[in-house]
Amino acid sequence: MKASRKKKRRKVQVPIASMGDIAFLLIIFFMLLSEFSKEKDLAIDLPRSDQVNKTEVVVVARVAMTADGAIYFDGDRVDNAKDIEWGVRALLSKTVADEQRHVQFKCDAALSKEKFEPVLKAIAEGGGIIEAVGENQ
Amino acid sequence: MFKHRKKQEKRHRTGEIPTGSFSDIAFLLIIYFLVATTLVKVKSISADLPSGEKQSDAAVDKTPIINLRGSKMFFSDKEVTLANLNARLAALKLAGKTPEQRVVMLESTSMTSYESYFQALAAISSNGGVVAIVEEEDSQ
Repeated sequence: MKASRKKKRRKVQVPIASMGDIAFLLIIFFMLLSEFSKEKDLAIDLPRSDQVNKTEVVVVARVAMTADGAIYFDGDRVDNAKDIEWGVRALLSKTVADEQRHVQFKCDAALSKEKFEPVLKAIAEGGGIIEAVGENQ
Repeated sequence: MFKHRKKQEKRHRTGEIPTGSFSDIAFLLIIYFLVATTLVKVKSISADLPSGEKQSDAAVDKTPIINLRGSKMFFSDKEVTLANLNARLAALKLAGKTPEQRVVMLESTSMTSYESYFQALAAISSNGGVVAIVEEEDSQ
């Protein structure tokens, strides 16, 4: 009698009650940590070179310049290069390591020196290392 | 028979919200975001521009200089192509030198486009140089 009872199949149940909670926690985690790119709407024709590499550095700020000479600092439009210098300086005021000084610079290929060079200098004056964004030739 | 069916229907009305499919919905959302997300990885060159200090004329004389005049490139006053410029800079073996000896000066006219400037910057940086922008001094 006892032996026949032992032979009965044991139902193995995986506890899935908390799966939904875990999944929603993951969604909330990604939603909080994700950062939407503010510069997607900017029409910038990037310069080409065969020496650009995929960068792994973490940038502290993003500077962009459109074909009409408008300057953007972290997605927000600023009036002139001086604002960029102050912005970079403020961000890097407590930074010592070189790895934390990278500033991304996106600029339209057709822009003339008169417009982009003050911004490049402003980043350098603010203490940033320029990560000039381009495309492969 | 009819009464029995009515009893069965009543038994189902317990007021509980069916949450069995919640995990499926959540995982579907996760998979959707994983598939639809594009991770932004840009291609760039790294250029460390020293923040402006004037060099003495003697030091400037020895420093290699690149001139950008419109779409033309000059290396130590000789016109070069981009490939030539790379070869010239590679011959200097800047990467093994001290930071002061790695300085390459970059001079350009006001109408130089960012495209030419970027290519010169890329050439200097990829050969281990440190870019120093040459500024025109005000006459006053």
